[in-house]
Amino acid sequence: MGNMKIKAKEKNGVVGVKVLIKHDMLTYDQAKKKGVDANFITHITAKVGDKIVYDASTSQFLSKNPMLKFKFKGAKKGDELTISWVDLSGKSVTESKKIK
Amino acid sequence: MNRRNFMGFGVLAMATLPAVLSAFESIDFRKTKPDVWKAKTVDDAIKALYGDIKPEEKGVKVKAPKVASNGGAVPVTVKSDIPAKTVAFFQNMDPESAVVVWNIPEDAVIDYFMKIKLKATDENGGNGELTAIVEGKDGKFYIGKTKLQVAKGGCEG
Repeated sequence: MGNMKIKAKEKNGVVGVKVLIKHDMLTYDQAKKKGVDANFITHITAKVGDKIVYDASTSQFLSKNPMLKFKFKGAKKGDELTISWVDLSGKSVTESKKIK
Repeated sequence: MNRRNFMGFGVLAMATLPAVLSAFESIDFRKTKPDVWKAKTVDDAIKALYGDIKPEEKGVKVKAPKVASNGGAVPVTVKSDIPAKTVAFFQNMDPESAVVVWNIPEDAVIDYFMKIKLKATDENGGNGELTAIVEGKDGKFYIGKTKLQVAKGGCEG
């Protein structure tokens, strides 16, 4: 079972990536109401090989089950894109997908 | 599974830390600039991140619906062709202002989409505004803004 849905497609030298992440993204306000600790994704990094192609520090205000899209150059079809996120609780998930 | 991933990530992070300075490295702006994420206004957040800057209003585009019916997932795009070191994205509806700070790799195309949570704009007089700042490689700063209305807030859960 994957945590992320990743689509990566190369066209004219530019790779377009679409990512859906399963995460509650519980804000401080929401968590307070529920009587639990806030927890949200704080960092998302994407790499091709050991080269970083996307690097985002994020706040509690990404939507629940956040969707991201980004673009980058310098990769080709068949290369493997690896996306990692880490949340406030320290949990981290890494998943990969071949660029089409 | 998760634990193993977490450990792997930690080892990887430690292994890449002492890497050559010229290589592009991940920056966790939540650690390097903790005050950015606590700032209650866009101006304060920008100050906490970049200091006292006077950004030029050009070259940065923020795209969002004029009226967002569901504040729980508002689609937003930040675009710029300016060769950038970092890009930061803020809004003035939620309790804190910062949403994302990107560290921009060499081969990036700044065309970043995400869905975000926003509180209803009637809580701040209907003045919903999204702001993106580009820190250019030329050392200058550029700003782009767009206004929007949010009908139903998405932060209350």
